[in-house]
Amino acid sequence: MDKLNKFIEDMGDKITNKIDKKRRFYFNVKNEDLRDVVDVLWNEIGCRLSTATGMEMEDALEILYHFSDDETGQYYCPRLVIEDKEKPEANSIALIIKGAEWIEREIFDCWGVNFIDHPRMEKLLLLNHPDKLDKTMRMEGAK
Amino acid sequence: MSGNKVPIGPFHPLLEEAEYFELTVDGETVVDIDLEIGWMHRGHEYISEMSTFTQSIYLVERICGICSTSHPLACVHAVEDIDNIEIPERGRYIRTLVGELERIHSHLLWLGLAGHFIGYDTVWMWAWKYREPILQMMEIISGNRNHYGIMRVGGVSRDVELSKIVELHKHLDMVEKKMVMIAKIANDDPVLKKRLKGVGVLTKEDARNYCATGPTSRASGVRGDIRIDDPSDAYDLVDFKEIVLPNGDCYDKLVVRVLEILESIKICRQVLNKLEVIKGSFWNKVENIGVGEGCGRYEAPRGEVFHYIRSDGTNRPIRHKVRAPSYVNIPTYEASCKGISISDALITLAAVDPCYCCTERSMKIKEVNNKKVPNLMDLSRGKTEKLRREING
Repeated sequence: MDKLNKFIEDMGDKITNKIDKKRRFYFNVKNEDLRDVVDVLWNEIGCRLSTATGMEMEDALEILYHFSDDETGQYYCPRLVIEDKEKPEANSIALIIKGAEWIEREIFDCWGVNFIDHPRMEKLLLLNHPDKLDKTMRMEGAK
Repeated sequence: MSGNKVPIGPFHPLLEEAEYFELTVDGETVVDIDLEIGWMHRGHEYISEMSTFTQSIYLVERICGICSTSHPLACVHAVEDIDNIEIPERGRYIRTLVGELERIHSHLLWLGLAGHFIGYDTVWMWAWKYREPILQMMEIISGNRNHYGIMRVGGVSRDVELSKIVELHKHLDMVEKKMVMIAKIANDDPVLKKRLKGVGVLTKEDARNYCATGPTSRASGVRGDIRIDDPSDAYDLVDFKEIVLPNGDCYDKLVVRVLEILESIKICRQVLNKLEVIKGSFWNKVENIGVGEGCGRYEAPRGEVFHYIRSDGTNRPIRHKVRAPSYVNIPTYEASCKGISISDALITLAAVDPCYCCTERSMKIKEVNNKKVPNLMDLSRGKTEKLRREING
């Protein structure tokens, strides 16, 4: 069994809405399962975190992580959907992956997502901005 | 943390880009470093979401003057990933050729700057002199020395004419001869070795934890090269080696880049030979991009450049995410700078090739008791001179 199929089998119900394209595997994960899934990707499969993409859709915010398995060239893309746009929160994965610190700070900066347990949850890109920007880049009604 | 603070940046007339590093020093030893980014707001992702797919390619080309092939290449890979668009063989080879020429000129640019920082101005002048034929090759291929405008969804925007290939071979031969000479210098020079070996070490474990990429991680013994791991274009059709070295110090970062230049020359030569015999189109016309999302990546000179594009079926992306390699490589300073001497700080910061031009940023030369306080450049070059005198007597 190859790594991808083993991962799918091991994760069971923790991952849903699976889309398998050529060397790209997208799937949804719940906030409470995020760290478990990331732990397997990082420690067992040995993936590297390329980055994470914050997105605003009409009814939710999305965070799409991009994990690269450099041995096989396979991309694993867990998608976290945050429906509470008023007070968006997600579990930080920076406790598992040091390299996620800046990535999560940028999403906090741009989309207002608060990452729980992040070691330094403050702005990254707008930290030294001369104007006091209290709004994110989100659409109308942004907090 | 107590200790003297040494600010580097964020703005200086000499700098191409603005970044801020605050070194905390105890005597001559760096004990902590704080990094702050976000001094420039260019809005490329936002502008791209208001542009058509074709316009986005030319937009991302302008993210970086040195990586002006890597970003558009990763961008077109992302768009092509949405619909699994196939590229004609000739187009794949031309993409590879331009990508590798960019790697050579970027590494030579870095090599020159690194030489300058440690007081090897001859290396600086030679490296930049031998970078010139590479830029001329780019001009022969694309009409431009920079911002080549050659990538497009479905292939490339122009062909490499057969009549030009002989000239390209000649330039390549000349650069190869000089690169072999520079590789020998890097291998033989005792001062260079003493100056850079063991300096600014990034351990294998730290390289992985910080998700470092490119020569920064490969010099720390972490293998990973997108050209091999997730091959696109003609990379699965050419023969080349991935350069991985174990020590993670500035010397290994230098050697990785020099050896990668030689590998890139090898790739270019294979591609030019193929372009002489492969006929056919260099571009497949693409009418529409469907609904979906795509990840595109390319092994830029500094590491993996990543683009994510989501399409709703119109002619423009609804989300375009860009992640340049320096974004994940710069935080490694937290690991590599602690414990080093202040005279090694400059070359350690530069060894990552963080896409900033040079020198002391906002450091000012102050006078204390009528004596000038040396800046980082003086300290770095002074240390090399001292080692040179010790070794040569």
